[in-house]
Amino acid sequence: MGERTRNVIDIVSLTKRYGRTVGVEGLDIGVGEGEVFGFLGPNGAGKTTTMRCLVGLLRPTAGRVRVLGRDPFSEHLRLAPSLGYLPGELRLYPELTGRETLRLLAALQGAPARLQDELCERLSLSGADLDRTVRAYSRGMKQKLGLVQALQHEPELVILDEPTEGLDPLVQETFYALLAEVRAAGRTVLLSSHVLPEVQRTCERVAIVRAGRLVTVGSVAALREARARKVRLTFADGLGRRPLGAADRWSPAWHGDQAVLMIPPDRTVAALRELLALPVRDLTVEEAGLDEAFLDLYRNGMVVRTGPDDQNNQNNRNRGTPP
Amino acid sequence: MTGRFPLMRLALQRRRRMIVALAVGIAVFEALIVVITTTVTPGQIFGAGGRQPPGVFRAFSGSNGDVSIASYPGLLGAGLTHPFWIALQLTAVGSLAAAAVAADVEAGTIELLMVRPVSRARLLAERTAALVLVSLLLNVAATLAVSVGVALAPNLRDAVPQSGVYAAGLLGFGFALCLTGPALAVSAAGRSRARVVGTTIALGAAGFAVNFIAMAWAKAAPLRFISPFHYYTPGDALAYGAVPWGQFAVLVGVGAAGVLLAFGLVARRDLAP
Repeated sequence: MGERTRNVIDIVSLTKRYGRTVGVEGLDIGVGEGEVFGFLGPNGAGKTTTMRCLVGLLRPTAGRVRVLGRDPFSEHLRLAPSLGYLPGELRLYPELTGRETLRLLAALQGAPARLQDELCERLSLSGADLDRTVRAYSRGMKQKLGLVQALQHEPELVILDEPTEGLDPLVQETFYALLAEVRAAGRTVLLSSHVLPEVQRTCERVAIVRAGRLVTVGSVAALREARARKVRLTFADGLGRRPLGAADRWSPAWHGDQAVLMIPPDRTVAALRELLALPVRDLTVEEAGLDEAFLDLYRNGMVVRTGPDDQNNQNNRNRGTPP
Repeated sequence: MTGRFPLMRLALQRRRRMIVALAVGIAVFEALIVVITTTVTPGQIFGAGGRQPPGVFRAFSGSNGDVSIASYPGLLGAGLTHPFWIALQLTAVGSLAAAAVAADVEAGTIELLMVRPVSRARLLAERTAALVLVSLLLNVAATLAVSVGVALAPNLRDAVPQSGVYAAGLLGFGFALCLTGPALAVSAAGRSRARVVGTTIALGAAGFAVNFIAMAWAKAAPLRFISPFHYYTPGDALAYGAVPWGQFAVLVGVGAAGVLLAFGLVARRDLAP
């Protein structure tokens, strides 16, 4: 990301509360121009709240949000022409046809929907489909319509909340191709997803949030480097589950005489020294899959150092200069 | 919906069947009132040994003055303050007010609308315009039904001036606007269409009850000033053939204050399901 010239999205200490409920708390994220940025977290982590703050639907309780240099809430009218947004739970007017829906949203956008026909064709939304009322659409067809309305006016920044939900694998491939084209055109994408291979495939950097707080932000490659080691121990004495001493902090999963632990890489050697004092018959150590690494982060809120890039980002922000 | 005012057109299109049904219903109902009124001869109305209904029944004839329900203007006024007429007006106001903001928030469709270069003021202005248009349509339908009936019935024609019919129609429109303001304010702050409709119905019912109690019980008389039915007096308008402009101004003023409040509320709130 060394070529980034400015942050398209700048979130500083963002807090959003709904009464006593915390949506997000003290969130700091910067997304550079031309970047495809992933936003990961379990349900209720604060992803959708953050995205709604970015498009001006929600007013932050505290902190600062800038999108394309503008405040999304107070400068909404200036910012919105440059935005494309797909909500996580896409709700459409059931009595309108697909075509009427796209026309309405294009009219409100106030910009020519140059890509509408091409997008419909590529996403397999036929003319007959578009002439049916949305009430008759499947989840996948609604999602296709949602993608068309988000991209049809060639927005500078595309914000997509769970974009591949309900799409079949073929259409997902088309979506990935579209995403690559958006990126190649130098436009920016913020994408939230539960589908980790999708993030791995499409995003350069990701932020992981849990319970409204940022767990980590960094490049996908760095997260893969930092992922835990999966240690599998098989005991020889047939006594089954037993205390593992200090290693119990890694919440071992037991299957008879076998225990599986996810241990952070910098603690693996020390943990193994202790574990090998037990009557171990077999031992395997492997890198955790990316899915497991993310899930571990979700569960434990473990902070992972993901490389100098993010530290630079933070320092630059503190100095008030772009990364 | 690609032309001008797409948000207004969307609100009207989605409720077009209800709007047509309400307009037809209100016209048919007022026509029935006129037909029933014409079947009552002057002797029957003013007979019965000079006995008159209690004064509090003026609440049902839409009068603050001396227009008794036992008169042609009073009977026609009763058609314009009848619970059925009020229910139709409240249905239109409640439904369209809910559609202004709260229904879109509840359904989640607000997200697609408001991520576009659409100001919150524009959203509310177009939705308010839809509501005003529907209120106008309903009151025009009611007024025309009464007007035609009065023109065709000789006994009514002599007792009720056409100017009174139109004055009553204008007051009816003012009454709808009066309820529109608070209903829009609730919609602008809320996220449930049921709450908007419920509040609108509660306002109408409480307003009628307060006015009735104030007319029936001398100690409660000052309360009548807080009821829209104190200012909505179609019986008086039908009898005297003139618009009570002061009362009309109060009705419209309350509505305008509610709309202004709604603009302030929607500008500050979160717009997400």
